[in-house]
Amino acid sequence: MTELDETAALPDSEASPRIGSRFSFRTRLMFGLVAAAVLPVAGFGVALAATQVAGGGLPENIVRLLLFAIAVAAMLGVMLAYVLTADLLRPLRTLASAVQRVAAGDLSTRLDVAGEDELASLAESHNRLAADLERRNRELGRILIAIGETSPRDGVARLVAKAAADARTAFEMIDAQIHLGDPADIPPEDDVPGDPRPVRAILELPGERLGLLSGHLPATRTWEPADGDLLELFASEIAVAIRNAQLFEQVEAQTERLLELDAAKDDFLRGVSHNLQTPLTSIRAYAEQLTGDRPDRRLTIIVEQAERLSRLVRQLLAVSRIESGALRPRAEVLAPANHVRRAWEALGADGTEFELIDHAHGWLAVADPDQLDQVLWALLDNAVRYGGGDPVTATIERETGDRIRVQIADRGPGIDDNDRVRLFQRYARGGPAEAAAAGSATGGGTGLGLYVSRELCRAMRGDLVLEPASARGGATFSVVLPGEAPEDA
Amino acid sequence: MIGGTAGAPGEELRVLIVDDDPQLLILLAEQLRSDGFEVITARDGEEALRRLARGWPDLLIIDMMMPRMDGLTLAREVKAQADLPIIVLTAIDAADSKADLLEEVAEDYITKPYHYPELRARINRILRRVGDRVPRQGLVLGPTLTLELHRRAAIVRGTEVALTPTESRLLYALAANLGQTVTTESLLARGWAETEDADPSYVWVTMRRLRQKLEVNPSHPSYLQTVRGIGYRLQST
Repeated sequence: MTELDETAALPDSEASPRIGSRFSFRTRLMFGLVAAAVLPVAGFGVALAATQVAGGGLPENIVRLLLFAIAVAAMLGVMLAYVLTADLLRPLRTLASAVQRVAAGDLSTRLDVAGEDELASLAESHNRLAADLERRNRELGRILIAIGETSPRDGVARLVAKAAADARTAFEMIDAQIHLGDPADIPPEDDVPGDPRPVRAILELPGERLGLLSGHLPATRTWEPADGDLLELFASEIAVAIRNAQLFEQVEAQTERLLELDAAKDDFLRGVSHNLQTPLTSIRAYAEQLTGDRPDRRLTIIVEQAERLSRLVRQLLAVSRIESGALRPRAEVLAPANHVRRAWEALGADGTEFELIDHAHGWLAVADPDQLDQVLWALLDNAVRYGGGDPVTATIERETGDRIRVQIADRGPGIDDNDRVRLFQRYARGGPAEAAAAGSATGGGTGLGLYVSRELCRAMRGDLVLEPASARGGATFSVVLPGEAPEDA
Repeated sequence: MIGGTAGAPGEELRVLIVDDDPQLLILLAEQLRSDGFEVITARDGEEALRRLARGWPDLLIIDMMMPRMDGLTLAREVKAQADLPIIVLTAIDAADSKADLLEEVAEDYITKPYHYPELRARINRILRRVGDRVPRQGLVLGPTLTLELHRRAAIVRGTEVALTPTESRLLYALAANLGQTVTTESLLARGWAETEDADPSYVWVTMRRLRQKLEVNPSHPSYLQTVRGIGYRLQST
């Protein structure tokens, strides 16, 4: 840094008049004074000696006296020159060491000034320079602290109030205000000598003027361009901070609004779900009670259809949670075969043959029981609906890498190549082939089953895939889940 | 399956049902009465609190969504008066963000539409649990493990670990018999009361997973001990 400054200062020093020489200032001054004091006396001595040699008439003792006086005078002159040199050099040395201390960073160095000579005015200049440097340093320190303390979380209003107060303290102003808006709204004030001096700086961002920082300084304060630069620096930093705070407030407000909307939506869905599930609970329970008294196929259908409606409501809730990323599956251990069997029973598809083949050898799956039930029910429901009355098969196998695969296969017309891609999209349903096979009795679904099922499986660290079409025909879906060996720990 | 009600024979257990839906209220009361419970009903939170003032039931079944005072608020009010076991009937399930709140306030909740046998299983489990003495606040088992079963969590070496409902049920049963062996069969009954065809491997695997969660060195457990051929033991260190 200092090296850079020195090299940068070189061209300047070449252009300005040179100060200094090979001999020290002290030597030159000393020689000057000695010459001034001794040369006239020495000249007189030489003249006297010359007249004497030429045979002058002065008595011998007078000449000796004169020569002695000359020698004494020369000696006195040299001594006086020495003392005088020291006296003249002392203030210069003091000045030089003060400048050195300022250069080293000790800005508090001041010189005692007495009298009105050139040295006094030089010392005064130095004092003023040091004081200005010290003040600017202090200002810079304060504005750096002030800028460091700003946070977008403070909010615009607090930031503006704080920045104005900081500017007032940092620049030792009488008052300081920040006006947000067009700086031209506030016309510049005239600087009347003797009155507080008005200062201003624009809160400027690239391509935009955010506002104005204005205030007054005591009339006696000096205000150099460097001070103005500092004020502008502060103003531009504050402009950035205010902009950040404005953006932060916008984001906060939007986030809050979204959270409110989300909570309102959740409440709404809870209400809808409650209002649908409560009567369904009664319908199912009463129908079950009646079946217990007197079995009737019609009552069984009521129970099954109530169950179906409940599941569709849950499916809709699941979609909303998938979309807000709020699926929270619980990782419980369970035997998938039991869940497949129960899901099949809940479906009540008595007209369709069902075969469950369990090759898992007791291995357990890790899944959320409720969510897995939803998935299995949806897959079995699809298999019945699109299977054209042919048997449905569920096969459970253990895979390498400690995974369990549950395959559910129907023997319907299968799934069109064109439909395979969009099958797992929301609101997608089986293509014309499956739809045609679906018949009218079971009716349509929500078109959400496979989409929801796949998302549920993935949330449980598993997956749901459609197996490639086989020569045997039909559609085969595989649920893959993490597995655990059935060993006693 | 564990059948019958907890408590001394001949002594009827009292259940207070609070639901704004009259059909469900009547139906549930009927079902519980036929199972030998003494049933009191209330249509809303206010009525429930009035009934509570006249005598405490052994268990409350509260509907989550009711006009004026909702089930969660009522459950909190009840708990402020007495630590009575509560089951909440709700249309929300475990995936709902409100489920955590429910779990902190109530002993259990059941998602509508529920099967009555499942509700019965849960009632039995909770009534059995009432006699257990497990602190509602943290149970410090050692320098590296604290159980906070009321909110289904464990603190393992200062880090919170979430427990599944089944895991916390098993730990609850073990903690209630701290230092004693609990048989695999009774753990199975505790953990999977409402699962018809659970088998002992459920307990084995869940215990293994619990060790991975709770133990510093799962292959040399210091808290969850296996008593070979019999069951498991939870011990403090």
